Amino acid sequence: MQGDARKMTSQLEQEIEDLCTVARRYDARYQRIPELTWPHGARIAVNFTADFDAMLLRRLLNEPPMQLAKGEFGGLVGIWRLIELFDSHGIKATVFAPGRICELYPQALRAVARSGHEIADHMWEHHVPKDPALERDHLLKTAAALEAFAGRRPVGTRSSHSLGLLRQEGFLYVSEDSADHRPYYVRDAAGAHPMLNLPFHYAIDDAMFYSFAWLGSGNAAQRITDPDRVFDLWWAAFWQQYRAGGYLNIVVHPFVSGRALRIEMMDRLITRMKTLPGVWFATCEDVARHCLAHYPVTEAE
Amino acid sequence: MLLYRHGGSQRSASPQGIRAEDLTHPDAYFAAHDGLDQLIALLRRFAIRATFAVPAVIAQLRSERLRDLLADGHEIAGNGLKHEDVSSLSAVDEKKRLDLATDILTRATGQCPTGWFCLPRQEDPFAGGTISPNTMDLLINAGYEYMGNGLADDVPHYWVTDFATRRALLTLPYYYHFDDQWFLLFPRRGTGLEHADDLFRNWRAEFNAQYKRGRQFNMVLHPGMVGWAHRLQLLEDFLAHAHAFPGVWNPCSAECARYWKATYPPGEYLRLEPSIWRDHAGSLS
Repeated sequence: MQGDARKMTSQLEQEIEDLCTVARRYDARYQRIPELTWPHGARIAVNFTADFDAMLLRRLLNEPPMQLAKGEFGGLVGIWRLIELFDSHGIKATVFAPGRICELYPQALRAVARSGHEIADHMWEHHVPKDPALERDHLLKTAAALEAFAGRRPVGTRSSHSLGLLRQEGFLYVSEDSADHRPYYVRDAAGAHPMLNLPFHYAIDDAMFYSFAWLGSGNAAQRITDPDRVFDLWWAAFWQQYRAGGYLNIVVHPFVSGRALRIEMMDRLITRMKTLPGVWFATCEDVARHCLAHYPVTEAE
Repeated sequence: MLLYRHGGSQRSASPQGIRAEDLTHPDAYFAAHDGLDQLIALLRRFAIRATFAVPAVIAQLRSERLRDLLADGHEIAGNGLKHEDVSSLSAVDEKKRLDLATDILTRATGQCPTGWFCLPRQEDPFAGGTISPNTMDLLINAGYEYMGNGLADDVPHYWVTDFATRRALLTLPYYYHFDDQWFLLFPRRGTGLEHADDLFRNWRAEFNAQYKRGRQFNMVLHPGMVGWAHRLQLLEDFLAHAHAFPGVWNPCSAECARYWKATYPPGEYLRLEPSIWRDHAGSLS
């Protein structure tokens, strides 16, 4: 009996040790930049990032016609209003565009490029294939398609593309997930290929508040809300990071935030941010290049 | 600027459309009586004309109420035979339903409806309304002037059914953030929470923003939902807010459609470019 108890205890101890091993290996994939400061004494860097999936993601998910129409709003109306909004504030934003958006809304992408906003990768058709050869094909096709509009290859992506592949293709940053408030380095599951990540949080993402059935959510899960409430929440996020000397990535979708009531809300939000000194409105590429130049990753592979 | 409202008078329905239990429920009684009375009175107070999208079964059941609405200058438009989901029906079956619904509405009102709605129901998985691949063509063939709930723009726009011939149906804007049914004890009584205040703020924010842009505001109301106490009060507050703005035009949907087609005729304003969507190996075709 006592032997059995001892055996059980050592088995439990082993389970605990195994969990710790897994977690430590996971932790080792991250490298934070706690001492991060911004150029010219700025107190906060703000990235506005627009995920331009419009009707393409609705199409990929095989959603019905009125959902496609809802997505079309992004390419026909919403993206133009966002360009106008950012331009009116002299802000350069980053537009994460799937490659095939080039075949759907070429005029809109031309306008994005004309206004000097960064155009970055958002997968070929909002999906990263499992097969490595097809994944590479998608990444290269997207880079070529976007280059035709931007005049240069994208250097950033919002995707789960393999970090090794991204590094090989000259990508400087990814913008996914929220393992830290500030930009940080992340390695792949094998602990290799460190890549700078510009984090965004799902609570600073317009679709979470406004888009019905977002990410396949059922009716009982809907909590669609109004812009005043989101204004208050996002201002609180900005203010907290402003005082902390941090970073904020605000994620919008042209088919969501391009609606008149939300453009107006963003206009108020930006106007209020601009009342404070030391707010650096930058593209993701600007933030990435600053971090890479001043806080390079420790290559311990 | 346009301000119109419409709404069925049945209890929130499911994709199969209005069932006996939807009509034999205290909420259904409220929707067709006290709720509708309250809404009519409020619209009258602000001299607002609305479009009522009425499923044929409701038109037949409540024809005396439709006459009240017409007497107040409101428009009656179609909204399905039973507000059913037509997306998987054959074209033949869908046409039969459309024709019958048109007949019933014509008999009930003495005039042929010119507008048709495919409004969403609370139990739909998406909040945009459902159509079949044939709906728009059938509506054009049946002589309808407009479809009342599109999502691709926030002003009227043309829904093109054939690129070569430029065959198109005028579509009026809809957006679920201005539709009461997604905010009021959604998804059904006893679940979710009451977000009438969010709904009010959405109306106000969109109205203000669209007024500034010189565009359009529309909202969708269900008499059985918005007609209740605090919700009615918020609607009144909103109407009082909007009423104070100069230069707001309030046509019903049919008038808005006529205005749009006369001012922006498709022959002149529909600038279609050929699709450049290509086939790629390993991609969506």
